[in-house]
Amino acid sequence: MIGTVGAKTILGINNIGRFARFVWQSMVVSLRSCANTHTYPLIWTQMNIIGVRSVPVVMVTGAFVGMTLAVQAYDQLAGMGLEEHLGVLINISVVKELGPVLAAVMLAGRIGGALTAELGTMNVTEQIDAIRSMGTNPIRYLVAPRVLACLLLTPFLIIYADLMGIVGGYLVSVVQFGINSRAYWSFSANGVELWDVAIGVIKGFFFGVAIAAISCYKGFTCKEGAHGVGQACTEAFVASFISILALDFALAVISKSIYNTFWSLKSLV
Amino acid sequence: MKQSNDKNDMQTSDGNGLITLKNITKRFGSNVVLDNVSLTIEKGKTTVVIGPSGCGKTVLIKHLIVLLRPNSGEVYFKGRRIDNLSENELNKIRTHYGFLFQGGALFDSLSVTENILFPMRQHSEITDFRQVEELVKTKLAMVGLDGFQNYYPANLSGGQRKRVALARAIALNPEVILYDEPTTGLDPIRADVINELILKLQRELDETTVVVTHDMTSAYKIADRIIMLHDGKIVADGDADNIRNHPHPVVQQFINGQVGEDDLAVLRMSGTVSQAQFLPRDFEQ
Repeated sequence: MIGTVGAKTILGINNIGRFARFVWQSMVVSLRSCANTHTYPLIWTQMNIIGVRSVPVVMVTGAFVGMTLAVQAYDQLAGMGLEEHLGVLINISVVKELGPVLAAVMLAGRIGGALTAELGTMNVTEQIDAIRSMGTNPIRYLVAPRVLACLLLTPFLIIYADLMGIVGGYLVSVVQFGINSRAYWSFSANGVELWDVAIGVIKGFFFGVAIAAISCYKGFTCKEGAHGVGQACTEAFVASFISILALDFALAVISKSIYNTFWSLKSLV
Repeated sequence: MKQSNDKNDMQTSDGNGLITLKNITKRFGSNVVLDNVSLTIEKGKTTVVIGPSGCGKTVLIKHLIVLLRPNSGEVYFKGRRIDNLSENELNKIRTHYGFLFQGGALFDSLSVTENILFPMRQHSEITDFRQVEELVKTKLAMVGLDGFQNYYPANLSGGQRKRVALARAIALNPEVILYDEPTTGLDPIRADVINELILKLQRELDETTVVVTHDMTSAYKIADRIIMLHDGKIVADGDADNIRNHPHPVVQQFINGQVGEDDLAVLRMSGTVSQAQFLPRDFEQ
C-alpha cells in the first residue's frame, strides 16, 4: 500500500519534472525562433490553422455567451428596476471572464485535440524520431511554431469572442427585452473600464501558451496505438481545461492586486 | 560542470571502428532490453543485426545514432564519445547518419520532393532552386522513383514509401546508413528490390551500412558481417558462412525458422481448436 503510494508519487513528480523541462525548452526555442526568419513560414502556416480557422467557432461561442447572460440576468435586474444596467453586467462578464475562458476552452477542444492527435500520430509512426535522426530539433520544428501561433492569436480570438458576446447581449437586451439602447450603452461605458478589457485579452497570452504546451507535450509523450493517441487527446483537453481555470483564478487575483494598487492612481496621472 | 562535459567529450574509443558500443545496457522499467552489449561497426562494411522480434534490434540501432541513450555504457562515433552530448551537439553528429525507419516515417503532410528536401533545408540555405530540383531528381533516380516528385506518401505503396524514405536518408550524403527492418511488410520481389538498392548504394557511395532484420534471405544477400541478438546479448558474430554453421542452438533455430520446444509445449497445453469455446449459435442470430 505504502509502496504503491510512494511509486505513484515518484511517477507524478517525474512527470511534472519532464513537463517542466519540455515547457522550458519550448519557451527558449520559441524565443530563438522569433529571431530566425527561416521559421516564419512554419509559424505562418500554424497561425492559419490555429487562428484563422478558429474564428467562426470562437465568434459563435462568444455570441451565445452574451445572449445567454442577457436572458439569465434580465429577470433579476428587472425585479429591482435596474434592467438598464444589464449592459454593464453582460459586458463586464464577457470581456473579463466568460469571453476569455470559454473561448480558451473552445480552443483547447478544437486546437488542443488536433495538435495532440497530429503530434501523437507523428510520434507513434516514428516521424519525430526521423526529425531527430536528420539532425533537427523537433521542438524547434514542431513545437515552437505552434506555441508562437497560439501565443499570438489566442488574444485576438478572445477579442472576437468578446465582440460577439457584446453584440449578442445587446441584441437580446434591446430587441427581445426592449431596453433603451442609449441607456444600455451609457451604463456599459461607465461600468466597463479599459482595464477590464485589457486583463481579458492579457489572459489570452497565458491560455494560448498553456493550451499549446500541454497539447504538444501530450503528443510527444503519447503511447503507441490508436488507444494511446485517443487517450493523449483526452488527457490534453482535461489538462488544458484545468490549467485554463487555474490560470484564470491566479490571474484574477494578480490583476485585482495590480488594479487596487495602480489603477486608482490613474486620475493623478 | 562545463569542464566536466568537455572532459567527457574528449573521451575516445580505443578501437578503430567507425561506431563503437561499449558495455551498453538499456532497460525499460524492469525489462532489460540490451544487457552489457559491446560492438564495433567497421567502416565501409555492411553489418546485419538479426534476431527474433522483440530481442532489442531496433533499440540497438537507435543507440548507434543516440536516438536512445543507454542506462550504462558508452557510444563512440569516429572515436569521439557521443552518448553524453547534448541534443544540440548530437544534431551535428547525426548529419553524418542516414536512418531508414521501419515504416519509412515520411512526413504525411509533405510531398515526396519536400520530404527529400527536409534535411537539406534544415542544414543549408537553399538559393538555387533549379539545382535543388536536379538534386531531388538524382536522389529519386538512385532509388528508381524519378517522376514521383509531386506524390504524397498516402499515394505511394509500402515499397515506394521505403524507397522515398531511403532517398531522404541519403539526402545529406551520410557516411553511415542505418536500416531498421527495410524488407518487413514487403512481398519477396519488392524486398529483393530493397536488397539490391542497399547493395547498389553500398557499391556507389562506399558507405558504412547497418541493417536490422529478421529476413535471413536479405541478411545472407547483403551482409559482410552478421550479428545475432538474443535476450539482449550478442550470441553470434561472423560472416554468412560462420552464421550458417554456428553451433549455438538458438542461432540454428532462428536461421532455419524452427519453432522451439517451449513454444510447442504452450501450443499443446492450449488444447485443440474443436475444444475451444465458441459463441452459442443463438448469439449469432
